[in-house]
Amino acid sequence: MKYETIIIGGGLSGLLSGIALARAGRKVAIISAGQSALHFSSGSFELIDSEDNPLAAIAQMPSTHPYQTIGLDAVKRYAEAVPALFAEAGVEVSGSVEKNHYRITPIGMAKSAWLTLGDYATLDNATTLPWRKVAIVNFDGYLDFYPKFLDNFFAKRGVDTVHHTLTLAEFEHLRESATEMRATNIARIMTGDLLSKIATELRGRIGDAEVVFMPAVFGMFDAEAVSALRSQVRVPLYFIPTMPASVPGVRTQIQLKNYFQKLGGVYLLGDNVCGGEIRDNKLISVRTANHGDMEFHADNFILASGSFFSHGLIASQEHIYEPIFGLDIVADQARSEWYNQDLYAHQPYMGYGVVTDERLRCRLAGKTVENLYAAGSVLANQNPIAEGTGGGVAITTALFVADQIINA
Amino acid sequence: MLQTKMNHYDVIVIGGGATGAGTARDCAMRGLKTLLVERKDFTAGATGRNHGLLHSGARYAVTDQESASECISENMILRRIARHCVEETGGLFITLPEDDLSYQAKFVESCQAAGINAEVLDPKEAIRMEPSVNPDIIGAVRVPDGAVDPFRLTTANVVDARLHGADIITYNEVVGFVKNQNRLEGVNLRHIRTGAESTYYADVIINACGIWGAHVAELAGVKINMFPAKGALLIFGHRVNSVVINRCRKPADADILVPGDTISLIGTTSSRIPYDEIDKNEVTPEEVDVLLREGSRLAPVLANTRILRAYSGVRPLVAADNDPSGRSISRGIVCLDHAERDGLEGFITITGGKLMTYRLMAEWATDLACKKLGRTAHCLTAKTPLPGSEQTESPKRKHIIELSTEQKAAEGRHGTMSRYISSHNANDDALVCECEQVSVGEINYAIENLHVHNLINLRRRTRMGMGTCQGELCACRAAGLLGKANGCAERTLSDLSSFLNERWKGMYPIAWGETLAEIQFTSWLYNGVCGINQMVTPNKD
Amino acid sequence: MSYQKSNISSNNFEQCIKCTICTVYCPVTAVNPEYPGPKQAGPDGERYRLKKPLFYDEALKYCLNCKRCEVACPSNVKIGDIIQLARIKHSKLRPGLRERILANTDFMGTLASTFAPVVNTTVKLKPVKKLMDWTLKIDSHRTFPKYASQRFTTWFKRHAEKSQAALPNQVTYFHGCYANYNYPQLGKDLVKILNAVGYGVQLMEKERCCGVAKISNNLIKQATRDAKRNLEEIRHSVAQQREVIATSTTCTFTIRDEYHHILGLENGDVREQVNLATRFLYRLVDEGKIKLAFRDDFRMKAAYHTPCHMEKLGWSIYSTSLMRMIPGLELLMLDSLCCGIAGTYGFKRENYKYSQAIGAPLFKQIADFGVDVVACDCETCKWQIEMSTGVKVENPISILAQALDVERTKALNNIK
Repeated sequence: MKYETIIIGGGLSGLLSGIALARAGRKVAIISAGQSALHFSSGSFELIDSEDNPLAAIAQMPSTHPYQTIGLDAVKRYAEAVPALFAEAGVEVSGSVEKNHYRITPIGMAKSAWLTLGDYATLDNATTLPWRKVAIVNFDGYLDFYPKFLDNFFAKRGVDTVHHTLTLAEFEHLRESATEMRATNIARIMTGDLLSKIATELRGRIGDAEVVFMPAVFGMFDAEAVSALRSQVRVPLYFIPTMPASVPGVRTQIQLKNYFQKLGGVYLLGDNVCGGEIRDNKLISVRTANHGDMEFHADNFILASGSFFSHGLIASQEHIYEPIFGLDIVADQARSEWYNQDLYAHQPYMGYGVVTDERLRCRLAGKTVENLYAAGSVLANQNPIAEGTGGGVAITTALFVADQIINA
Repeated sequence: MLQTKMNHYDVIVIGGGATGAGTARDCAMRGLKTLLVERKDFTAGATGRNHGLLHSGARYAVTDQESASECISENMILRRIARHCVEETGGLFITLPEDDLSYQAKFVESCQAAGINAEVLDPKEAIRMEPSVNPDIIGAVRVPDGAVDPFRLTTANVVDARLHGADIITYNEVVGFVKNQNRLEGVNLRHIRTGAESTYYADVIINACGIWGAHVAELAGVKINMFPAKGALLIFGHRVNSVVINRCRKPADADILVPGDTISLIGTTSSRIPYDEIDKNEVTPEEVDVLLREGSRLAPVLANTRILRAYSGVRPLVAADNDPSGRSISRGIVCLDHAERDGLEGFITITGGKLMTYRLMAEWATDLACKKLGRTAHCLTAKTPLPGSEQTESPKRKHIIELSTEQKAAEGRHGTMSRYISSHNANDDALVCECEQVSVGEINYAIENLHVHNLINLRRRTRMGMGTCQGELCACRAAGLLGKANGCAERTLSDLSSFLNERWKGMYPIAWGETLAEIQFTSWLYNGVCGINQMVTPNKD
Repeated sequence: MSYQKSNISSNNFEQCIKCTICTVYCPVTAVNPEYPGPKQAGPDGERYRLKKPLFYDEALKYCLNCKRCEVACPSNVKIGDIIQLARIKHSKLRPGLRERILANTDFMGTLASTFAPVVNTTVKLKPVKKLMDWTLKIDSHRTFPKYASQRFTTWFKRHAEKSQAALPNQVTYFHGCYANYNYPQLGKDLVKILNAVGYGVQLMEKERCCGVAKISNNLIKQATRDAKRNLEEIRHSVAQQREVIATSTTCTFTIRDEYHHILGLENGDVREQVNLATRFLYRLVDEGKIKLAFRDDFRMKAAYHTPCHMEKLGWSIYSTSLMRMIPGLELLMLDSLCCGIAGTYGFKRENYKYSQAIGAPLFKQIADFGVDVVACDCETCKWQIEMSTGVKVENPISILAQALDVERTKALNNIK
C-alpha cells in the first residue's frame, strides 16, 4: 500500500500532523496501536507552566529542548494557529499564548494551562475567584468526583459552597454493577430526557449559587449533551475532570479522528508497526502486525508513537530502546539513573526519547533518516509533567513536522 | 501527666508488629489491663516486610532443631486459630542440578527429628504438583509449608486484644520512660505528626519492638546487642505458584518462593546493615538482579513475569549476652527479664524469633509479665481462634458461588468478620480498588473498625492499592472516602501524596517494562491532571 | 522485535496498565451491567482466577468476543482471548441442545438445505418461533437465515468445477457455512470475479465449519476436531501453491487467530496463506497483477459497516478500497460499531434485548444515511442489520460482482 505520509501513532501529535497534512491535500495514513493518551486528558493543554509570559519562559529553556529545536517563532506560530484548527474539528478551546490561565483539578488544585476545553472553567489567577458562592453537585454513588477536596479549594479562596447529591433512577441500572459508575459509562446515558431532568433538579436546588460544578460525565461522542444541559440551567455550569477515562478526552480524540477521516485520512486502529526497511538513509516502508507482508510504502514517515506508556519507548531490565527501528535515543545507561526516589521530583526517564536533527528527523546509528520525522512525547529532552509542556510540545512539533513535509 | 486510674495499666506493650499485637492479645485475654502502643502503624516494621511464609520449620531443621520444632508446632496452631490468615498450600524443597543431592537425605532426617512431616517425592510428581517449578529438578521433598498474611494476622490480634479490653494507641513514639530508682513505671509518648506528648503508667512494660527494641531498651537504660540483617524481596504481579517452593540447600539468597493471596513473593537477600539504616528499607538494583536471577532457578517463569514491587525488612539478630562481639548470634526467641539481667524492675524485652513464632513469643512474654504481677491465668491463645477465624458451619458451596467477586475477596481477607462489611446495596458494593476487589463497604468497615488513620493503614487492612496498578486507579477514590470520613481535606490530600510516593518507593527499584509505563501513567494522572505534586509531602508513613 | 514477542507471552494479561480504555469501547458494558466489563472480566479477573478458580464469574458469558477491547487497548493486552480462554477453562455451564443446534452450523446446514423449503417455511411460522423460544430459548423475534435449496458446493460441482483448471492461476475457496447453505450467490459471485481475472477456484475436499460458533458455545472438542481437519486441508492447498481465501471475515479471523490463541493449535506455517477475498483481490490490483473493469450503468449508494472481526483484522481498507474502484458506487463509511448479533449470541433469548441495544446506534446511523445497500463482509451482521433496519446487506464481493464488466475485465487480463 502506498501513501504520501504514514504516521505511526494516533494520539494528539499523530492526529494533528495528520490533519495538517490532509488539509494540504496529502494522502495520509495513521497507524495507531490502540487508543491514545488523549483518553486521560485533563481537558487542558499546557504550553509551559509559568506565571509570566509563556513564550518568554520557553526562550529560557535548554537548547536541547524540542521547543528550542523548532525555534521560538515556530512555537508561537503553531500555538497561535491551533485553536482555529481545533475549531474546524469541532473542538472548542479557550486560552492564549500570551498568558496562561488556571484550571481546577479533580482534587481541588489550581493548575496553569494554555488551552482549555469549553467544558471547564478557566480562572485568571490561582488565588482569587470571581464567585462568592458555588454549588458542587455530584451523583449518588459516583466515586471519581471529590466534593470534599473541591470544597477545600473554594474555602481557601473565600468562596462559599453548597453541596448537592443527585439520586437518579436512571442510574439504578448502571449501579447494579460494581464498576459501572465510571465517567464514560455515565456519559453514555446522558441524553435527552435525562439531561432535562438533571437540569430541573439543578434549577430547583442551586438557590443563590452563581455557578455550578459537576463531574465531567457529559458528551462522549460530541459536545451536544454539554450544550443541551447548559442551555437549561440559568447559571454557568462547569465540569471538573474525572479519573480515567476522561469523557471530554475521549470526545476530543473522536472529534480529531473524525475530522482527519473527513479530510480523507486513513486511520488504522489496533495495529502495531513492527519494523521497516531503511535504505540509503531513507525509510522505504513499514511492516505491521495486522497487514503482514502487505507493506506500507510512503515518501515520508512521522514517528508519533509516544513515550513509555504508549510503547514509543521500551525499558527492559538492561536498557531503554526505541522498539520499531532501534533509533538513536537519549537515555541513561544505568537503571539507577532512570528515576528519582521522590515521585514528585524531576524524573530523568521522562526526558528520554529519540534524538533528531534541527528538522526533527530521526537518527539511526548516528545518521539522519531523511524522511522519518518525530513529534510529540517520543522526542527526547523534555519533561512534559515537570515543565508543564506535554500538550504544547505534542501540538507544535506535530504541526512543525507536517510543515517540513509539506514544504519539502 | 498525673498517674490516674485511667492512664495506669497492668501492662504496656510497645510495638505494633505481630509479636506486640500477639502479646497485647495474650495479656488482655488473661485479664490484664493492657495498653498497646505503636510508633507508626501496625505491621509497619519487619512484620509487614517478610515472606508471609507459614514455615513448616524445615528450613531450620538442619541448622537449628529448636527453631524447627517451634515452627512446626506454631504452624499447626496457626492453621487452627488463624484460618483466615493462612493458606494451606504445602511446600516443596527442590534440588537443582547444581545443588548437592546428598543434602536431601540429611535434610529429611533432620525434619523428621524435629517432627516435620517431610516426604521425598519423585521430581515428576513434584512438577505435577507445582507446574511452575523448574523442570530440571533432580530432587523434591514435600513439607507442610503454607502462606500466612502478616497484615491480617496482626490486625486480628489487635482486634481481639481490643475485644478483651485492651487500649490501642498508634502513631505515638516512645521517647522516654518514667523511672523510679530501679523500676520502670511508665512511658513517655510523642505523637509523630502533631508532637503532642503523653505519659502512661504500668506495672510491667514489654518491649516488643523487633530491631527497634535495641533503641527502646537504650531509652530504658539497658543495652541489648542487636545486629540488623536486611532482607530484600520481590512481589510478582500474580500467583505464579500455588505451592511454596524452597531450595533444598543451606539457606542462601532468593531461595523461597511463596504464593500469597493474589501474588507471589521471592526472597530474600541477606546483608548486615548499620543500625542507623534500619528505617531506610532500600532495595538496590543489585539485590533486584540477584533475586530475579536466583528466583528464576526456582520457577523459570519468573524471568517473564511482571514485578509489582521490591521491598526489604530488617530482622533483629540478637547477640548472646555472653558474647558482645556478635559472633554468636541467636536466631531463636530471646525473652529478657531485665530485672534479672540488668537489675531493672518492670521491664521485659521479647525479641529474636520470627513471624511464625509470634504467638509463642507473646506467650513467653505474658507468662513472665504474669509472674511479675503475681497473676496465675493460663495462656489460651493456642486454642482460641482469632476474630475472623472462628469455626463456623462450613458454608455451602452454592453460597460461595452466589457471592459476588468482591464479596468472595473480602471473605478471604476478613474471614467471618466479613459479615460486618455492609453489602447488598449499590453504594456499598461499588468497587474502589478494581485490582484487589475492594468495595466501598469494605473500605468503610476498615475505616470504622480497624484503626485506620490514613491510606497506608487502609491498604494494609484491605489490600486496596496492593494490586497491579499500585493504587493508580483507587488511591484517589479511597482518599475521597477517607476525606469524607475524617472531614479534613488538606490532611487527606497530603496523605494521598505520601501514599503514592510510598507506592513509588517499591516500584523504582524495578522501574522498567510495565512498571515504568504504569508510573508514567500514574504521574500523568496525579501530577498532570490532578496537580498532587503541589502538596508538600510529609513524612512517609 | 522483542517487544512484539513479549506480547504473546503467557502473562500477556500483566501488560495491562489499568487505563480502562477497553471499557469505553466495549459494546456490552454499555448496555448490560451484569457483565463485569473487559477490564474486570479480562486482566483483573485473570489474576483472581489464578489465585482461585472459584473467582470465575459466569457473567463472562455475556462477552461477545468482538475483540473491540483488544483493538482499543494501548498495551496490546489480548483481553478478548483472556476472557474466552477463561470461559473454556472454568465455565460450569454446559452447552445444551440450543447451543448444539446453533453451533453446529454445518450439520444443521446440511440437514436444513436438504429440506430447505420446509425448513424455511417452518422456522418463519409464528407458532414455530414461539415454540423455539419456549423450548430452546431462541428468541422469537429472530428470523432464521434462509437455507438455500441448492448448496454452493452442489452448484459448483455441476456448473463451475470443470472449467477452473484451465485458468492460469489457482486459489482455494473456503466458502464457510453461510455461502454454502444460506447464500450460495456469494460463492458464485466470487467465482465470477476470480475467473474473470484468471484465477481458477478449487474447493477443499472436505471443508468443515471454521468452528467459531462451537468456540463461542463452549463446544471446544468439536471445534478443535474441525479446526485440525481444516488446517490439514489448508496445508494441502498451500503445498499445491494455492492460497486459501474466504468471503467471511469471521471464518478468516477464526482460522488465522482463534485456532492458535483459543484452541492452541499451531497454524503459523499457513496463517499468512489464509486470506480474505477482498484483501487477496486488492493486493493483486495493487501489485498490478490484475485489472478490473466495471459496468458503466452500475449505480449504487452504499454504506460500509465494519464487522467486529474485520475491525480486529484491521482489513476494512481492502474491502473499501476495492469498492471505491467502482465508478458508479457512492460509498459512505458507518462508524465502526458492533451490530450486536455476534454470531449465535443474539439468537439466545436472554441476549436479545442487549443485542438490539448494542446495535441501536448503528441502526440509527444506517437509517440516517438513507443508502440502498449496506456493504459488509460478515454474514451474521447481515442478518442482524437486515432484520433491524430493513436495509439490504451485501458482501463487497457481491457488489463487486454486480458492478463488474466481465467481458472487459477478461479482456484486460487476457482471459479467453
